[in-house]
Amino acid sequence: MQIRSSKWFRLAAVGTAAALPLTILALEPAQAASTNVSVVGYSVVGPAYKILEADFQATPAGQGITFTNSFGASDTETNDVAEGQAADIVNLSYEPNMATLVGDGRISPNWALQERTIGGVNPAARFKRQQTTYHTPGIVTDSVVAFAVRPGNPLGIEKWGDLVKSGVQVVTPNPVTSGSARWNLLAGYAAQISLGRTPNEGQSYLQSLISNTVAQPTSGSAALAAFIGGTGNVLIDYEDDINAAIAAGDKLQIVTPPETLLIENPIALTYTGSANPAAVAFYKYLFSVSGQTAFADLGYRSVLKSVWASTESKFPSFKKSTDLLTVESLGGWPAVNFEFFSNTVVFPNGNTTFPSSGIVTYLEKFAGSTA
Amino acid sequence: MLAAPHKQTQAEGAKLPPATGRQFRDVRAASKLSRGAAKGLAITYLSLIVLIPLAALMTNAFNKGLGSFWTAVTQTESIDALRLTLLCAFVASAINAVAGLATAWVLVRDRFAGQAIVNALIDLPFALPTVVAGVTFYTLYGPLSPFHVNITGTWIGVTVAIMFVTLPFTVRSVQPVLESLTFNAESAAATLGASPARIFRTITLPALMPALLTGTGLAFARAIGEYGSVVFISNNLPYRSEVASSYIYSLAVSDQTNSAASVAVALLIIALILLIFFNVTAQRLAKRRA
Repeated sequence: MQIRSSKWFRLAAVGTAAALPLTILALEPAQAASTNVSVVGYSVVGPAYKILEADFQATPAGQGITFTNSFGASDTETNDVAEGQAADIVNLSYEPNMATLVGDGRISPNWALQERTIGGVNPAARFKRQQTTYHTPGIVTDSVVAFAVRPGNPLGIEKWGDLVKSGVQVVTPNPVTSGSARWNLLAGYAAQISLGRTPNEGQSYLQSLISNTVAQPTSGSAALAAFIGGTGNVLIDYEDDINAAIAAGDKLQIVTPPETLLIENPIALTYTGSANPAAVAFYKYLFSVSGQTAFADLGYRSVLKSVWASTESKFPSFKKSTDLLTVESLGGWPAVNFEFFSNTVVFPNGNTTFPSSGIVTYLEKFAGSTA
Repeated sequence: MLAAPHKQTQAEGAKLPPATGRQFRDVRAASKLSRGAAKGLAITYLSLIVLIPLAALMTNAFNKGLGSFWTAVTQTESIDALRLTLLCAFVASAINAVAGLATAWVLVRDRFAGQAIVNALIDLPFALPTVVAGVTFYTLYGPLSPFHVNITGTWIGVTVAIMFVTLPFTVRSVQPVLESLTFNAESAAATLGASPARIFRTITLPALMPALLTGTGLAFARAIGEYGSVVFISNNLPYRSEVASSYIYSLAVSDQTNSAASVAVALLIIALILLIFFNVTAQRLAKRRA
């Protein structure tokens, strides 16, 4: 009997062990019901969606709609969606992530036009539609690259030039995994161009900036956490993220440099999302006056002219239009991404100072070898 | 360690009353059946959970040839990350071998108030999400440390995080062996006038050595793959304070799947060599004692 029971015990143990993965597979949520919307986004926008979703659920269109959320480093989330993670709406950090999803067949190549066809907004004041502020289509929120400093700004950080002074310790996420990091580094470069410096001078600026960097956490949110945790003197971050942290009670101060870069975060309905009425309704809401006002209340610069006009006074302004450059003015995302963030470093003939592709990849290595 | 439970089962078997006739045949047939079923299940399970994913990883690492594998592994960033990871894993498991042995010793040989609670606490590093451990260490031993100790961004910080995560391995490997040790040999040595230090060195430690080696090997293998607890505390600076797991992660998310798989396989090979070394040594020591 003793043997018999031990046999059963052993069989049961092995059986349970074998059944476990099957159970986990079986527990995988079934095909999402049409009243559920899966939202996938970059790490920093996560908290905003908590509020936007609740606001939407309180509207007639949002009655009974539930949400599944996934927020993380933009490139990571993009990869997950490309590999099949459920997603109806993708709100990622920057446009190249959308290009990846187009390539993997998750979103339409015409995703940027959804704001017009579905969202009902238009760059021109026509058809009584809500007019957008900037001309880049498919963008749901704007922001600018700003600095968070310690209370009282003890180092007197005012502009990008102050970040490369000796003794300044900069925190910015890792540009390989984080979209936020790419905006940040490009902003430092763009500021040099705004000041009339040459591309080569802009690259030397980045070199000094990277060697002053003391931490490169994996995402924008992780970078903010490290800064709040006491690392460094300056955090480079989205203006909205710094304001949200201050509103949440973190002891920070925001500094908006006089020259910086406009951040444009793209949004799209995936193929599955376009077929999901609940997702389409939420997408419409995000581009509506109430959705955009909610974004503005959370510290984002609205993409709707009407909402921007009523909230503009809350945000620091820029003296000249060239003080707030766009990625478009630097050559557009595909070119900029290749030039700065390609993992293949190529030096053009005759120039041995800076590469023509993979500038940041090269500078990271350079900073590593001189550290 | 690996040999010990097996021996115990044999000993239990020997204690059973001798089986006779039909009863004996039934038992044999039943045990044959259950052994067959267990073997089938074990093989299916191992294949699904371990072998197939590993094979996929290997394919990914080598599908562009040995040359591209080697190039990926010998990139400066890869070597820097591997070096930091191995250094920290080595130091952490060495310290844990000593500290874990001491902890197991105290738990088995000492009696103190709250012992059961401390005993249960040992396993907590396994239960705690490693990211939480990382953030906790960041708060305690970071720039805002209440103790004014800042180990973030250094290899020491990474090592401390790894020590926390891997401590249960050493303690839990040594503890049962220590519990099953009888005092006979130790008492005899003491009667013959051996000093406590000598008794420990010549009698107790050799008996614990196989378990200690296995535990340390497991801790080391776990340490080199650790991500959650170390990625935050390291400050994650490429070429400077980036651990291998974080480097692999960054390769994987930036469309360099081949390189990611290559560095991962390099890490696995190192782990495998060490695990084999530790296990073979442990078994040899166990055999020599038997």
